[in-house]
Amino acid sequence: MKMRDTIQRAGRSLRQAKARTLLTSLAIGVGAFTITLSFAAGAGGRAYTDAIVSANTDVNELSVTKAPEQQQEGPQKYTDISSAGAASANPFFPASFLNNNDITRIVAVKNVESVAPNYSPSVKYITRTGQDKYVAPISTFSPSVKLKYVAGGANSNLSTDEIVLTQEYVKALGFASDQAAIGKTVDIVAERLSSFATSPEMETFTYKVKAVSDKSGLALRAQSTLLLSNEAAKNLYDYVSKDTRDYGNFALASVRVNDPDAAETVKTELARMGYEAQTAKDVLGTLNTFINVLQGILLGFGALAVLTSIFGIINTQYISVLERTQQIGLMKALGMRQRDVGRLFRYEAAWVGFLGGVIGSGMAVIAGVIANPFISEALSLGDINLLIFSPIAAAGVIIGLMIVSVAAGMLPARKAAKLDPIEALRTE
Amino acid sequence: MIEVRNVTKTYGKKHTTFTALDNVNFTVPDGASVAILGKSGSGKSTLMHVMSGLDRPGVGEVIIDGQDILQLKQKEVDIFRSTKMSFIFQSFFVQANESCYDNVSLPLEIAQTPVRQRRGMIEKTLESVELLDKIKSRARDLSGGQKQRLAVARAIVNSPRVLFADEPTGNLDSATGEKIEDLLFGYNKKSGSTLIIVTHDPDLAKKCDIQIRIKDGTIESIIESQQPVIAHRPVARKIQL
Repeated sequence: MKMRDTIQRAGRSLRQAKARTLLTSLAIGVGAFTITLSFAAGAGGRAYTDAIVSANTDVNELSVTKAPEQQQEGPQKYTDISSAGAASANPFFPASFLNNNDITRIVAVKNVESVAPNYSPSVKYITRTGQDKYVAPISTFSPSVKLKYVAGGANSNLSTDEIVLTQEYVKALGFASDQAAIGKTVDIVAERLSSFATSPEMETFTYKVKAVSDKSGLALRAQSTLLLSNEAAKNLYDYVSKDTRDYGNFALASVRVNDPDAAETVKTELARMGYEAQTAKDVLGTLNTFINVLQGILLGFGALAVLTSIFGIINTQYISVLERTQQIGLMKALGMRQRDVGRLFRYEAAWVGFLGGVIGSGMAVIAGVIANPFISEALSLGDINLLIFSPIAAAGVIIGLMIVSVAAGMLPARKAAKLDPIEALRTE
Repeated sequence: MIEVRNVTKTYGKKHTTFTALDNVNFTVPDGASVAILGKSGSGKSTLMHVMSGLDRPGVGEVIIDGQDILQLKQKEVDIFRSTKMSFIFQSFFVQANESCYDNVSLPLEIAQTPVRQRRGMIEKTLESVELLDKIKSRARDLSGGQKQRLAVARAIVNSPRVLFADEPTGNLDSATGEKIEDLLFGYNKKSGSTLIIVTHDPDLAKKCDIQIRIKDGTIESIIESQQPVIAHRPVARKIQL
């Protein structure tokens, strides 16, 4: 029997037992649904973290901290130094800081273009003539971090007298609209920490609003941070922290390399020198580990559903063989070979797998398309879809399930092939 | 020519052996119509199974066109059956859910007849059994006589050289049964193929050239009709493989 004829006959037999075929396929469909969704969630999750990382970091950039001192395994030996300073006991902050010496050492490393210490000056407040005073966290602007602007724009760099506000501050500071704030000035008041508490030294720094940023689903940093140029942040920092104990110590520095490929070698070189460096890839890797674990769990459930449906297929096919004993006997009497009889039943199983795969992955796609806006809404991801369906993954699921079904149909097919035609055609 | 030589078929093991066929010998010339006559349990069905290669006796030879089919491998016997033999059964065994077309198509598919040749062959055969107008009907919608005619069409579509019919009129009334007989004998005469009818009906057996009576697994008698078999033997036909 030719393959085409066998496939057609297999399809026809299934059509004659529609309800049974459909129910068996649905069992597989559940597995297909879960597996397709897990692939979609995995792809979506990775695309999401990818977007986060590329929006917040630069492949040319490493963030460098000073490595904590080598720790021995087991209880630590007591030294006089280890008891000093509460900072070293805090696992969330590096035990030691980078100072200007470290900066010069890092700049000297091959392929390093520039090193920018992370200035985060703590200022008193931000205000505008005739408006209230507000607390103002300050960060440095980096052109590699992609922000979503609702007004204005700062895609290259900020000059020292420019600032990027968030929408919330625009509202709080009494601007009529986001657009109206552009070009206007705001005042940041800072206090010199080394001055006496009784007669604090204050100074007002004035900045022009360059752009207004929106909440972005991709932003990792605090939403309400105001952005200044590196130079402006340094000026503020110098004013605020000068003559204090911590002046010139930084928790973090951004290192720019001149070539994305050099990031890894610079990282190892820095590690050798006693610094810890994280590349964009490292950040992505950490995030993706979570995604992969979650996807794996979902895949496991899908596999379990498929495993259950295998028994359904075996059962259905056995019943089918019993029901069609005479048909099989006739086909064998007419000279159909054992191999072809077995194949006929295996193809039927493959059809069931195909149907289940198509139904399941189809439902998954429909469910995903419907659910995507809700998920994005609930997690406030903006226009990002967390479920990404690829035709290749769907085709893979369908083909995989067909193979599984054929394997499940092996035993019943064998039974059909071995059937004795004389017994099968005996009528009582 | 079909030669059956020293065929003995036993069922069961040592203590409970049952001899279904006991040293059976006969020869059937090409183009003859043969009735294997006997009561139920006489071994006539077993004889048909042995002659068609469905069953393998422990002892003996079944030589068809000079080839002992008992020596062939299973695969070769299958090919032999799909190209040179066909069957008609008492209870039709048509596929009730399939159309007449698909029913008749089955032996062509098994014999791997090219797709483009099939339709013509099927239509021609259905026409010869007067079922062309039912080509798209499902077999379950046919009457008993029509179902057996469909079975005849399925049996002859491949132009077999040997046609086995196991009680072909057993489930039919005499009028429709006669029509089936006419079809069978008509095909036998027209194509020069051998027709072997297994029956317990002496009237049907009388219409055959040779009557082989079987009782308890042995041949009781072989009666040849008055006219010599050779007289209406047609010119040898080319067989499509």
